[in-house]
Amino acid sequence: MDRTQEKLNKLLDLLSMRSCQSLTHIEELELNHLLDEFPEYTPDYFEPITALADASMYAHDEQNLSGMPEALKNKILSNFRPEYTGSSVLQVFKKIFEAPRLAWTMTCLLAIGTSISMIEFRNYETNYRNLSVKKAVLEFSSKDLIQYNWFAQTDDFCDCSGNVIWSDDGQRGFITLAGLPMNDPSENQYQIWIVDPKMHANPVDGGVFNITSIDSPTVIPINPKLPIEKARGFAITLEQSGGVVISEQSLILTAPKERPQSTYDNSSASI
Amino acid sequence: MNSNNNDAILDLIAKGRPGSFEMLIEKYGNLVWSIGKKFLYNQSDLEDAVQEVMIAIWKSADKFDPNKAAEITFISMIARRRFIDYLRKITKHKSEDSMDDENNNINLYKESLLNEETDLALVKSAIEELDADGQELLRLSVYEGYSHSEISEILHIPLGTVKTRIRRNLMKLKDTFATNKIQSKVIQFKNG
Repeated sequence: MDRTQEKLNKLLDLLSMRSCQSLTHIEELELNHLLDEFPEYTPDYFEPITALADASMYAHDEQNLSGMPEALKNKILSNFRPEYTGSSVLQVFKKIFEAPRLAWTMTCLLAIGTSISMIEFRNYETNYRNLSVKKAVLEFSSKDLIQYNWFAQTDDFCDCSGNVIWSDDGQRGFITLAGLPMNDPSENQYQIWIVDPKMHANPVDGGVFNITSIDSPTVIPINPKLPIEKARGFAITLEQSGGVVISEQSLILTAPKERPQSTYDNSSASI
Repeated sequence: MNSNNNDAILDLIAKGRPGSFEMLIEKYGNLVWSIGKKFLYNQSDLEDAVQEVMIAIWKSADKFDPNKAAEITFISMIARRRFIDYLRKITKHKSEDSMDDENNNINLYKESLLNEETDLALVKSAIEELDADGQELLRLSVYEGYSHSEISEILHIPLGTVKTRIRRNLMKLKDTFATNKIQSKVIQFKNG
C-alpha cells in the first residue's frame, strides 16, 4: 500500500469515527491536517449515511423509540416560540396603553422592571449553569451576531481552538475554547478583552475566567465592563487573579487573527 | 401524510409560519430524544442538549435542500452532530438512572415517519446487504453509540481491525444506498 493510500485510509477512519463519536483533540488536529491534503473530502463525509441508518433503526423497530417528556416539550415551546411571544406581548401592551390613566403607572412599572432586569441580567451572565443553552438562545435570537475563530499568537498555544460569538445589540456573547492550559485561580486568571476602537481607545475588560479541565471545550460568557458600540475583535491574556484594567501581558489568543488597527498599533505585545 | 407534506415542516419553519415549531417537535421530538438517549445518560444534560438540537434545527431550516437529503436525514444529522459535540463538553456518566420518557402515541409518530420516507426503506435494504459482522458493527457504533475503542473491548478484536471494518462497511453502505437511490429515481421517472 502506498503512502497516499495509507493517508486516505487514515482520513476515512477518522471520518467514520467522527460520524459516531467525539474525537480527541489530537485526532481532530490529524483530521484537519488530512482534510487539507484531500480537499475533495468534507468533515461530514459519512454523517448523512450514519444519520439515515440511525433514523432507520428507530423507524423500523418500535422498541427503540422513546417519547420525549411532555414537560420538556412544553419547556422548549415556551422558551423558543418566537412567532407567538412578540404578538401576544404587543397585544397586552396595546390594551394597557389604550387606558390613559394606566399609562403613567405602566411607565413607572416598566422603569422598575428594567432596573430589576439589569440586575438579573448580570446574575444571568455570571450564572454558569446551562451556558450551552444560553449560547444557543443568543445564536438563535440575535440578528447582528458576529462570530470569529480564535488564533494563537504564540506557538505555545497553537493547540488552542474555538470561537467567540457576540451581539452588539444584546451586549453579550460567549467564547468557546479548547486546548487552553489549566490555570491556578489563586495565582492567575485568563481575561477576555473586547476591541471597540470606535468607542474605546483601550480594549474593554470582558471578564475573567478559569480553565478547570482540558478534557472538553469550555463555554464562557463575556461580561463587558463598559458599553460596546461595535466589537471589532477579541483577545485573551493571562493576568493576576481578578484581572486588570489595562493589560501589560502578551496576547495568548485573538479573534479574528488580524488585530484591529488603532488598538494594537501602539504595542505588538500588549493591549 | 405524503412526502411533500413531510418536507413542508422545514419549509414552513424557514418561512416563519406559526405552528411550524410545534409540528417539528410533534413529529421529530421523539426521534431527537431517542437519539440523544444513547449519547447522554444524565437526564439534565439530555434535556439541555435536546433543546439545543431543536434550536439548531430551527436555525438551519433554510439550509435544508430536499434534493440532497430527506428531511429525516437532515434532522437526524444535526441531532447526532450536536449530541456528539455536547458529549465532548461534559463528562460521560453511564448511570443506571432511568429516564423520564413518555410512552403515549410513540407508535403513531414512528409509523408516520416510516410511511413518509422512502430513504428509510432504501437504507434498510442497503444495511441488509452487509454481512452479519458488518451489521453487528453498525449496530454497536451507529445505533448503540459505542466508540471504536469500546467496540474493540466488547468484541475482543484489535482496535485497528474495528476501525478498518467500520470504515469499509460505512463506505459500502454509502455506495449501496446511493445506487439504490438512483435506481429508485429511475423507476419513479419511468412510472411518470
